[in-house]
Amino acid sequence: MEQEIKKEMKDIANMLLEVGTLLMSAGANTGRIRNTVTRIAETFGYNTELLITQRALTLTISDEENNLYFDILKRTPTHTVNFSIVSGISLMSWRIVEEKWTVHQINTELDRLTTLPHFPRFIILPLVALAGAAFCRLAGGTAPDMIITFIATFVGLFIRQEATKMRFNFYLCVYFAALTASLIAAGLSLMMGWGHLQEHAFATSVLFLIPGVPLINSFSDMIDGNLQNGIIRGLNGFIISFAIALGLLTAKFIYQL
Amino acid sequence: MGWTTTLLENGIWFGFAAMGFAVLFNVPVRTLFYIWLLGALGGMTKLALLHFGQGIIIASLSGSTLIGLFSIAVAHRKHSPPLIFAIPAVIPMVPGILAYRMILGLIALAGDLQPDLYMKMLTETANNGLKVLFVLMSLAGGVAIPMLITRKESAKELKLILKHHGTEM
Repeated sequence: MEQEIKKEMKDIANMLLEVGTLLMSAGANTGRIRNTVTRIAETFGYNTELLITQRALTLTISDEENNLYFDILKRTPTHTVNFSIVSGISLMSWRIVEEKWTVHQINTELDRLTTLPHFPRFIILPLVALAGAAFCRLAGGTAPDMIITFIATFVGLFIRQEATKMRFNFYLCVYFAALTASLIAAGLSLMMGWGHLQEHAFATSVLFLIPGVPLINSFSDMIDGNLQNGIIRGLNGFIISFAIALGLLTAKFIYQL
Repeated sequence: MGWTTTLLENGIWFGFAAMGFAVLFNVPVRTLFYIWLLGALGGMTKLALLHFGQGIIIASLSGSTLIGLFSIAVAHRKHSPPLIFAIPAVIPMVPGILAYRMILGLIALAGDLQPDLYMKMLTETANNGLKVLFVLMSLAGGVAIPMLITRKESAKELKLILKHHGTEM
């Protein structure tokens, strides 16, 4: 009997940590991770305590009646923002409560969510490049500036994707992308015979790299009382911004602007 | 071109900037149109307030708060958490040019400048830097405030309560 309960607790704990680490790597804030994991655990009638950090999650699951406890620690996979997973897990957590899912059903759904296709590259590249051109327009750029920013963002993002595939250090990938985008932006505006740097195009060509998710999650974690996670996310966002700035400055140095 | 035409044109660009980030963050396809709409509305709110003489900090806070409020309403319709709509929609309001000038200013301050030039640079950089800091904080705050005011952990609970009182959104 006790063996059976222990086995069940272990399965549930593994599933809960899978949910938690997936949410953490996909870009959910700490409060959401805690709520979701607790909500799912409660439908199975267990108490859980969670320690959530950027790189790993610790979970203690307990069955007060039988005086059973189980601890487990899991590393978070590489952080890549994926809101389809956040949305899918949120929907799933409510269906678990309402439809009383089994652990097996949940694991099948998690497998489905992690293998969902991303947007194809030929859609991501032009749409993000268009976003770059939009930034340029909003900063006061004209049509030629927008075209320059479009091309710079397109190639910059391509370089970032390739660098990520080659498993370079994350901040280095950002630096490569920022450097490529700003080299192209500055190069094109010099080539087109204006003879000076187009500030709008140059500054907005790297904006596709801004760490929006770490910075906003940092703030929402902090006002939620998860100060440690908030500080760590903020620092992460700060280092990304620093890598972007370094890319811009290197381009300025290369062209001696 | 009147300022309303400019406002509408910029609204379209705000929407496309938001959509680019949405695609980068791999949002579900069903949310894309609403992210475009929220981005455009928030950005236009910011620009309209700037036009009527408000500062960039208050304008950004108003725009992002509007996005935060609408993201809760849209979350019900499209069955996705509010942050999925709100985060890509506020990113176009990030003050890129100001941040760029701040970085250049900081580098210049680290170099050897004439005292007069140094003071001028210091004033400008401090001004730009503080604007960037406060705008970023008001963007993040605007997204978080609506969820805090409703005092619920999830937008779904909010919907259940509204249903209970017979006032479906």
